[in-house]
Amino acid sequence: MLETSNLTQWIINQGISQIVLEIMISMCIVATVVSIARYIFGNKTYGIYAPIVLAIAYSYTGLRYGLAITLMVILTSLLSYSVLKKIRMHYITRIATNYIILSIVLVFFFILINNFSLGLDNMSNIPPLAFISIAALSDFFIKQYIQKSLKTSVMTLLGTIVVAIVGWFVITRDIISSFVLNNLWIVPLLAVFNVLLGMFKGLRVKDYFRFRLTAKEENEK
Amino acid sequence: MRNSFLKQNKEILGLNRRNQEYVRPFNPPSSKAIADNKIYTKRLLKKELIQTPEVYKLIRTKKQLEFLDWESLPKSFVIKPNQGTGGNGIMVFYGKKKGKWEWIRPNGTTMTKRDILLHIENILEGRFSMGAKNDIAIIEERIKTDPLLKQYSYRGVPDIRIICFNLVPVMAMLRLPTKRSNGTANLHSGAICTGIDIETGITTYSMHMKPNSIFSDTYELIDSTIDLKENKQLSGVQIPEWSNLLEIALKCQKVSKLGYIGVDIALDAEKGPVVFEINARPGLGIQVANQAGLRWRLEKIKDVKIKGIKHGIRVAKNLFGGEVEESIEAISGRKVLNITEKIFVYDKSADISRLERYKDTKRQLVKAYMDTGVTTSRIDSKLANRIGYINAHKEFDTLNIPKRFNSFKEAQEYIDRYEKEVYKSQDIKRLAKIVEDGEIKVRPVFDIPIKISDKIKITEFISTETTDILCPIVIGRADLTGYLIDTTNTF
Repeated sequence: MLETSNLTQWIINQGISQIVLEIMISMCIVATVVSIARYIFGNKTYGIYAPIVLAIAYSYTGLRYGLAITLMVILTSLLSYSVLKKIRMHYITRIATNYIILSIVLVFFFILINNFSLGLDNMSNIPPLAFISIAALSDFFIKQYIQKSLKTSVMTLLGTIVVAIVGWFVITRDIISSFVLNNLWIVPLLAVFNVLLGMFKGLRVKDYFRFRLTAKEENEK
Repeated sequence: MRNSFLKQNKEILGLNRRNQEYVRPFNPPSSKAIADNKIYTKRLLKKELIQTPEVYKLIRTKKQLEFLDWESLPKSFVIKPNQGTGGNGIMVFYGKKKGKWEWIRPNGTTMTKRDILLHIENILEGRFSMGAKNDIAIIEERIKTDPLLKQYSYRGVPDIRIICFNLVPVMAMLRLPTKRSNGTANLHSGAICTGIDIETGITTYSMHMKPNSIFSDTYELIDSTIDLKENKQLSGVQIPEWSNLLEIALKCQKVSKLGYIGVDIALDAEKGPVVFEINARPGLGIQVANQAGLRWRLEKIKDVKIKGIKHGIRVAKNLFGGEVEESIEAISGRKVLNITEKIFVYDKSADISRLERYKDTKRQLVKAYMDTGVTTSRIDSKLANRIGYINAHKEFDTLNIPKRFNSFKEAQEYIDRYEKEVYKSQDIKRLAKIVEDGEIKVRPVFDIPIKISDKIKITEFISTETTDILCPIVIGRADLTGYLIDTTNTF
């Protein structure tokens, strides 16, 4: 059992489980990772909810398993949407049909893993909510595909996955999670950091590469 | 890399700063709501007698769509979502197939009535709109492109985006539809963007989005159109009615109360300038098309009190004009100098190796005249004395060289005679024979560092005593290599 600080111990004594506390901390950390990715690097994600849920889901499924499910979810959504788009039907019914197809495909995928392992561990220890969290990515993906383009949606998907992986990496390091768990003062500090980041006016790394004045640079040389 | 990043950070406007410093403080929510709604925008602009595309039908519900009178529609029209973003959901129809309920699109394909109905239904469901709320479909007039701009675009309608801030037009670009963009003027779909010199309305640099780039928004500079039958050079095109366009953009800013605005104007062959839409969060790719940063431009005019539209245009032309010259420089590899330029002349005591690093080095800002009629540059002896060559002049006087000569041969003889003594001098580089006030003279030559057109260089100057001089510095042919002289800006 991990040794806990007085404050942490007090919170746990109030009936809040350590897992809940850990998830809350993970949420704060990944949310900050998303802010940094957006305002310092210019990385687009499907909002803030998707990368947080994805990072936490990966921490339960393991990165390899998580990414494999993500890939299945996206490929199935793309295929089913391409077929369904040819049928004249309402938007929500189309998304609902997509989810049904997705769950069938995922069940087959899990059976395949169970029987042939495919380099992945058995899934019996993984909480089912983690799968649903990853499957929800389909909605974000298809929505952006419809409203913008496949390329934009794929780029945002990659951005979301990269941020989720960084988030997963940070929250699964025992040293980090146990440190934050024992130093809960860091959590309000993250809020202060986000407020300061919210006032940041500097150039995002992506903006620099997008808008740099190349002809001017060459002339100066 | 680090230096370049810091340098460009000072010049380029990024998304963070655009939102924090310009969109949020200068664009009130009520004005943003108008800009985000094409119907409100049209109403507002109409009051100010600004032309917008004529609306044929507004479809708010599926019921209205059911009873749409297709017969009353002209052969060509455009369907748009009222609150659409980034050109999504806009569909242009060029004509109707005879005897059929089928309309022709810019790429030559046709759409049946059923397809169009489905598209309008999608618009009503908010598929293309901000926040995916229910929306209104607008069926409006198709703009007939101005013949000049038509030559540069593939089918669709080119438009001109002018960004205005504090009642000053800050930057402008022309967006040209291409085959890749399917006839739309949307940069993200593959349209070409060409920067426009604010002063003259002449196009400068051009760019488009790299077609096969992994990252969706990487720009590439180009020189000519990309997929027309006969591709044309894009720089140097004079946009018709330029001053009028600037005026219209500022009128839109005034009436919409958007402090930071992007105005999209198309040029109709019959009606002239027609405002397509106003934008409360104009994109920043315009900087690449102009190869100029928005940040310093906006900062320059932030605190200027603009008295009116005409004043705003004057300020813009004075402050931000001259991009055409930079463009010429990029094409010809030569910089453009005005016939008179203000240059810095550095003090004799200045450490040459440190000139670029230290701004506080002793120097004087003086007017210089570009004169291709003389070979070596000249400096007024009084100015030379002021920057520390007083002893050099005294040294020259001790040589007892006559004040004037009857022939160049005689002058050369004296130069040859004193060559050794001059060689010993620290300040006098050599002696030169010149014609001054109609007389042949021998004068000392100094090496003086100057800063001209942002470049520091050591220049050979003949010190002159003539009173018949327009500027204390005359830059001669020897130092004008690599420059083009613009004679339009005189004294």
